[in-house]
Amino acid sequence: MNQHQTVGIVMIEDDEGHARLIEKNIRRAGILNDIKHFTDGTTALDFLFNAVDGPAKSGPAMILLDLNLPDMSGTDILARIKAEGSPLKRTPVVVLTTTDDKVEIERCYDLGCNVYITKPVNYESFAQAIRQLGLFLSVIQVPEAE
Amino acid sequence: MVPILPLRLASASHLPLAGEDQKTRQTPDCSAASQYRWCNDRHSLTARSMVRVRLNLPSSEGRVARWLVAFMTLGFVALAAAAIAIGWITVRNRIYTAEILHTQDVRQAVATLHSQMEQSETARRGYLLTGMPLFSAAYARSAGNLAPSIATLRRLTSDNPDQIARLDLIEPRFVRLRALRAQSMALVAGGRIAEAQRRFAVDASVPLMRGIRYRLQAMAADEVRLLAIRSARQQQTSALFLSVAGLAAALLLVVAILAILVIRRYTTDLATSRDSLRDLNETLEEQVTERTADLSRANEEIQRFAYIVSHDLRSPLVNVMGFTAELSTAAGPLAELVDRAEAEAPHILTEDARLAAREDLPEAIGFIRTSTQKMDRLINAILKLSREGRRTIAPEPVDPAQLVDTIIGSIQHVIDDRGAVVRVERPIPAVVTDRLALEQILSNLIENATKYLKPGRPGEIVVTGHKERNRVILSVIDNGRGIDPRDHQRVFDLFRRSGAQDQPGEGIGLAHVRALAYRLGGTIDVQSTLGDGATFRLNLPTELSIQDIKA
Repeated sequence: MNQHQTVGIVMIEDDEGHARLIEKNIRRAGILNDIKHFTDGTTALDFLFNAVDGPAKSGPAMILLDLNLPDMSGTDILARIKAEGSPLKRTPVVVLTTTDDKVEIERCYDLGCNVYITKPVNYESFAQAIRQLGLFLSVIQVPEAE
Repeated sequence: MVPILPLRLASASHLPLAGEDQKTRQTPDCSAASQYRWCNDRHSLTARSMVRVRLNLPSSEGRVARWLVAFMTLGFVALAAAAIAIGWITVRNRIYTAEILHTQDVRQAVATLHSQMEQSETARRGYLLTGMPLFSAAYARSAGNLAPSIATLRRLTSDNPDQIARLDLIEPRFVRLRALRAQSMALVAGGRIAEAQRRFAVDASVPLMRGIRYRLQAMAADEVRLLAIRSARQQQTSALFLSVAGLAAALLLVVAILAILVIRRYTTDLATSRDSLRDLNETLEEQVTERTADLSRANEEIQRFAYIVSHDLRSPLVNVMGFTAELSTAAGPLAELVDRAEAEAPHILTEDARLAAREDLPEAIGFIRTSTQKMDRLINAILKLSREGRRTIAPEPVDPAQLVDTIIGSIQHVIDDRGAVVRVERPIPAVVTDRLALEQILSNLIENATKYLKPGRPGEIVVTGHKERNRVILSVIDNGRGIDPRDHQRVFDLFRRSGAQDQPGEGIGLAHVRALAYRLGGTIDVQSTLGDGATFRLNLPTELSIQDIKA
């Protein structure tokens, strides 16, 4: 696997509207990486760990994670990704959720989340945050999956 | 779903916690308010249990009392009857005994008379035969007693006509006999014994004596008969006495047994109710704890509910806001297109299209924006309240005066901008409470006081405090526009405001203040007349204990 391989973005977000807004703003920020969207935790986990073209098996990825999912809590997925011995341990995870509860945020960072972004209701700041995320994406070195 | 939101939340805050005073409930985990409520519950609990116990008693109490009185009365009546009967019987018995004694006396008197009669006759005859002075003396002794004996007998038998009739027959014979005797005694004494003997043989002495003897025997027999009758009567009375006494004793015994039974049952009832009362008392604490736990659970439920709801409401709101922005962005090029069309090819532009691009779309987007922004603020307010309810309260010694100084310092520019003066009237008693919560309360109240001024009157706000037993009352007094008395309760409700809506705000501050006051074991109220200032009084426990919070 070489360094030029493009970083895939895996978005785990149950709200189609949010997903669409996030995608739009990422594109507006000039990020053209491939975005894979999952609306539930189970299929997302399956893709992350087991899919042939998934990040565990091939290519580096970045994960956008919503905490409120219909079938499981986002923190469970976060814990799985960041667990000791996980092939995705070094994969950057951006938690994007409506919760701005301090305890919840701290918990996510404790579990190893790289960035925590609260979805503000104010759209301008939301768009701003996503675009900054795009900027962030362009500068970070995404490590390969082990 | 979105439009009905605030309503549902508003009702949610009033939701399940029962009863008269949901205002206390509305606050999450408001310890003091709950404490107060539980206190009430405890009272009502006791009262209820008392009622239950009393329900038990009065029936048995009344019944027992009635039975007791009945038995007592019965017992007394029986006793009185027995006493009367026994008294009567005793009197009768004494009369009968007296009669028997009397009969004995009469018999005695009859016998005495008889023997005197016989003795005197014997002495007379001995004298007649022998002429010995010995007999004469004996005669004189016994004959002298005869008349008194007859008199005695007459007196004794004065109540008996039969005996009197007999005596009436005896007496003339005795008189005649006595004369004959005197005659013969005198003849013998004169030495004319033969003459005396001859006369004796012919005179009536012997038949007279026989007649007297016969009648005395009849009298004796009569007395024997009377004695028998009277003895029998006395025995009857004795028997009657015994049976009456026995009956009374039996009656008393029955009454006593019944009374004892009733008293024992009553005592058992009393013991039972006392036991149940004690049990109730013992479990009271448990029940209170249980209820407290229930209430706490319900409180937590509401908190969680508010928290989850407000979070989940945010999600769709993000979409509404986001796509409204997208819509707004998309409307830009459309408006430009319309402008260009108007300039370059006016014939393709319809009036509808122009209106839609220039007025309808921006108007609609504007309304959606303001509404969603408002909704966001409301949701944030609920979140804030629910978060506040979860915060741990940490009591520490606080000097309210100093706290107020700090608050004034931090909002000095706002106060100045509004042209108001805030001053602290010292001394204010110290209080042990949660510093942050008290600061939020006071800063809200002071901020409000400087906010709602009466136009044309410079704001003057005074903070005072005094102690009332184990409570500290802090007052924030302003000379502002005042609050209509109808709204005095309402201003503390979430999202409710009073008076002219000329100031920004969502109606959250005072709801928050009240929630905090309750959490600190306190209360808050307002005294005000419209246009004439308002006084908010915060009533706090001097010392907030951890138990109050936990409860």
